[in-house]
Amino acid sequence: MNSIQILLIIGIIIIFLYYVLRFRNAFFDLLLLISFSLLGIYFILFPEKTNVIAHKLGVGRGADLLFYSCIIFFLFIIIKLFARLRRLEEKLTEMVRQQAKSDADLEIDAKGKNKV
Amino acid sequence: MGFTFIPCMSVPNNTKNVFIIIPAFNENTVIKSVVEEISQFNYSIIVIDDGSEISLLPLLRNMPVDYIRHRINLGQGAAIQTGIEYALTKGAEYIVTFDADGQHDTIDIQKLLDPLQNNKADIVFGSRFIENSTQNMPKGRKFVLLLARLFNFFITGLFLSDAHNGLRAMNKKAASLIKIKENGMAHASEILVQVKNKKLRFVEVPVTIKYTTYSTKKGQTGWSSFRIFFDLLLNKLFK
Repeated sequence: MNSIQILLIIGIIIIFLYYVLRFRNAFFDLLLLISFSLLGIYFILFPEKTNVIAHKLGVGRGADLLFYSCIIFFLFIIIKLFARLRRLEEKLTEMVRQQAKSDADLEIDAKGKNKV
Repeated sequence: MGFTFIPCMSVPNNTKNVFIIIPAFNENTVIKSVVEEISQFNYSIIVIDDGSEISLLPLLRNMPVDYIRHRINLGQGAAIQTGIEYALTKGAEYIVTFDADGQHDTIDIQKLLDPLQNNKADIVFGSRFIENSTQNMPKGRKFVLLLARLFNFFITGLFLSDAHNGLRAMNKKAASLIKIKENGMAHASEILVQVKNKKLRFVEVPVTIKYTTYSTKKGQTGWSSFRIFFDLLLNKLFK
């Protein structure tokens, strides 16, 4: 076993443990995570297996295939995160706005007239 | 029993239902003079403090304004939307947005209101380019604004003579139809998009912009136009 393989496998295990400990997960998430981790470890131990898949898709090396799919995958993640951030921002805005409006009304009630 | 006189209702050309909304973020040096200037007229004034580091409330004590404060800074677009919603609940017929940095001229407010009150338009944009009404505009600013106009034309199909002018007026109909979702500076373009989509009638009116040292410093740089561009682009793509 190469040292890079050991490092990568340790990396996957750390990420796995971190994820499990940090977020108490639903069963399905856990299942997905376990299968991805095992798949990852499998391909780290037998990298030449990725070449077989790559050849079938018309890509020279397994590593290249992995690289291409990573780009697509991360673009997808960025878009998802952006959309989520945007929705969060909208909610926050709405909250601050409602609060600001009711604060202003309270101010008016306290003074008993429509002035600061 | 007796004679009741409700000044607001009985005077036909009353101005209390005209709401001036002033979004302000850390404008403590000028906000007072701006409000003072506007309060010479008989308009209703709403200051939206967009989470300024130091509350603007003490500066506005004993002044005839409604004060709304966002507890955190959201951006000018969000402040304007808050102001519009609040003004509508207070019975606004006409709403004017007015920058807090003192670069607008209060005389222009009535010029903007005329087309609305004569029912010629639903929304009126102030423009610094219709006539040579602008004082001391930096050259770089002029070029950036030209690019902004072209950009607005591409996304909205409306070619206005000015792209990002903070002075605009709208009637109740436009105010309730327009919903600003761009919290940042991209709201100016967003308003145009909505004017187009909601088929609102609009006109441009020449207004004066004073480029003081303060407003130039406080105002946007060319760099912010890139941010606006990306805000709009990203939000269009990933909505």
